[in-house]
Amino acid sequence: MVLGERPENSGAAVWHMLARKDVLAGLMFMGVALLGLWLSRNYPIGTALRMGTGYVPRLLCWILLGLGVLVLVQGLRNAQAMRTPSSEASAAWRPVVFVTASLVIFGLSIERVGLVISILLLIGIGAVAARDLRPLETLAAALVLIALSWGIFILGLGLTIPVWPEW
Amino acid sequence: MDLLDNLAVGFEVALTPANLLFALAGALIGTLIGVLPGIGPIATIAMLLPLTFHLEPTSGLIMLAGIFYGAQYGGSTTAILVNLPGETSSVVTCIDGHQMARQGRAGAALAVAALASFFAGCFSTLLIATFAPPLAKVGQSFGAPEYFSLMALGLIAAVVLAHGSVIKAVAMIILGLLVGLVGTDGNTGGTRFTFGITELTDGIDVATLAIGVFGVGEIITNLTQPQETRALVSQRITRLWPTREDFRRAWPAVLRGTALGSVLGVLPGGGATLSSFAAYALEKRSSKHPAQFGHGAVEGVAGPESANNAGAQTSFIPMLTLGIPGNAVMALMIGALTIHGIQPGPQIMTERPGMFWGMVASMWMGNLMLVIINLPLIGIWVQLLKVPYRFLYLAILLFCGIGVYTVGNSSAAVLLAAFFGVAGYVFTRLECEPAPMILGFVLGPLMEENLRRAMRISGGDPMIFVQRPISLGLLLTALVLCLLVALPAIRSKREEAFQEN
Repeated sequence: MVLGERPENSGAAVWHMLARKDVLAGLMFMGVALLGLWLSRNYPIGTALRMGTGYVPRLLCWILLGLGVLVLVQGLRNAQAMRTPSSEASAAWRPVVFVTASLVIFGLSIERVGLVISILLLIGIGAVAARDLRPLETLAAALVLIALSWGIFILGLGLTIPVWPEW
Repeated sequence: MDLLDNLAVGFEVALTPANLLFALAGALIGTLIGVLPGIGPIATIAMLLPLTFHLEPTSGLIMLAGIFYGAQYGGSTTAILVNLPGETSSVVTCIDGHQMARQGRAGAALAVAALASFFAGCFSTLLIATFAPPLAKVGQSFGAPEYFSLMALGLIAAVVLAHGSVIKAVAMIILGLLVGLVGTDGNTGGTRFTFGITELTDGIDVATLAIGVFGVGEIITNLTQPQETRALVSQRITRLWPTREDFRRAWPAVLRGTALGSVLGVLPGGGATLSSFAAYALEKRSSKHPAQFGHGAVEGVAGPESANNAGAQTSFIPMLTLGIPGNAVMALMIGALTIHGIQPGPQIMTERPGMFWGMVASMWMGNLMLVIINLPLIGIWVQLLKVPYRFLYLAILLFCGIGVYTVGNSSAAVLLAAFFGVAGYVFTRLECEPAPMILGFVLGPLMEENLRRAMRISGGDPMIFVQRPISLGLLLTALVLCLLVALPAIRSKREEAFQEN
């Protein structure tokens, strides 16, 4: 598929082309590079002899931008890369949301409510990510894992993590 | 003789009860995660990295090393019995190993795999002991320009030998280098890419990045894929010992596999996976009965299994002698060293002979333990395969969480790991291999430091990199590698090497 050949009928075709893996990867690299260039806009660059804070970061961002463009162009030209990410797994949002949420809440809660409750929270939210876990199974898994982590991290390694909430 | 003296020092360290225990722990954990599909050595070592902070550095390294080569043993068990590779390095073992199992020769296949691995492990440990000291001497004569060029070569070679798109892999390296810059610039004191977040001024810990991208990212990826049905070979494993005919056919394959794996392991980007694929191709091509491959040829198990273990072991050579990681696991090892304030590089061998030789000696002990763990106790590991992934991922998720938290008792690190988890999932979906990113991340600060030093030596003239002969040679090698990949003939060969199904 060549860029110019497409008739005007298809906004969907444009979308399809943009959703190719290499195209998305190229855009991702370019996005990170542009973000980096923007963030480092005020970093002193210095000279090659006396490199400032911004010398290496800006150099790397420009290289990444170039590579991103290359990947993008390759993706647009390569007709084989038609497989779009969305066509493979549709329910991807579920693990993404719940796995991430369980970790975030674990991180925010561990210092406030201690190890035991934050593990319960992590398992409770994390279990939603897979659809085939039954409530009782989850509870059993949580209890086993609490005992296990208490044994390894508190008893065995003597880490200073609060176990219970401090009232 | 020097070698014997050194090994004596090593065994003195490796045979202390504590270090034996950590070698055993590493071998057990390695076998466990090797057997279980869905969790690999990179994620496991990342999760356990923060814990080694509480151990002696030598003990910590011994355990982490045990996990890496232990996983090569365990991976073959799953490959043979279930036709699922426990690790990517045992993908090719599935082909003939599982066929042998279906013909009722599972025991023979398992024994050949374990003995081949053991032989390769012993041989490559000797190689490390022989070649590490001279290599470290070479490394000690390097100045900043040579080091910069060596790291550049290492990074380029790592992506050339890995599979997938080279441009994307280079981009992932640059991304890793950028993430490595987050925090305070040691030379100027300025902060970079911290988004105004206080917790980021100290930089990102390698464990946080690796647990996020590999641990959490793998969980999300696995959960989005439909569950494979695990077809366990049901009949009991009766006869463990291979036949005389098996031995006769297997031993030349073991020798070839060990040699090939040892060479490929030293190269950056090499290591276990590449070695096993290459060894399978070699066996198939050099065999008098190529038609038997895919139908239970014992060479197809012996060759790759010895190669992946040899490759796993020899990939320690550049890490230990030059401080250059050839693959993501070695990058994490360097992270473990830096946690303890040990500067990786050629001086390790002279400054900490106990640590270096202790680790080498422990590898031999670990391999011996692994044969015992894997052969008589095979039944226990097989039982573990019945644990469904929906329980496994909860445990992995929790260990990721606690592991990251203990890096610096910091909640921010957990949030950061969650972010990197999503990033890792996105990378996998976009077919951007995340392993080169870790290499870039670890080498980033070192490269910047050496670049600065080289520039100070030359007075700001970049020509210094081509005026020094060793540096020029290293850079030319990198350039040749890049050109080779661009050649269509080589490119198709490279893709062929990773497609053996």
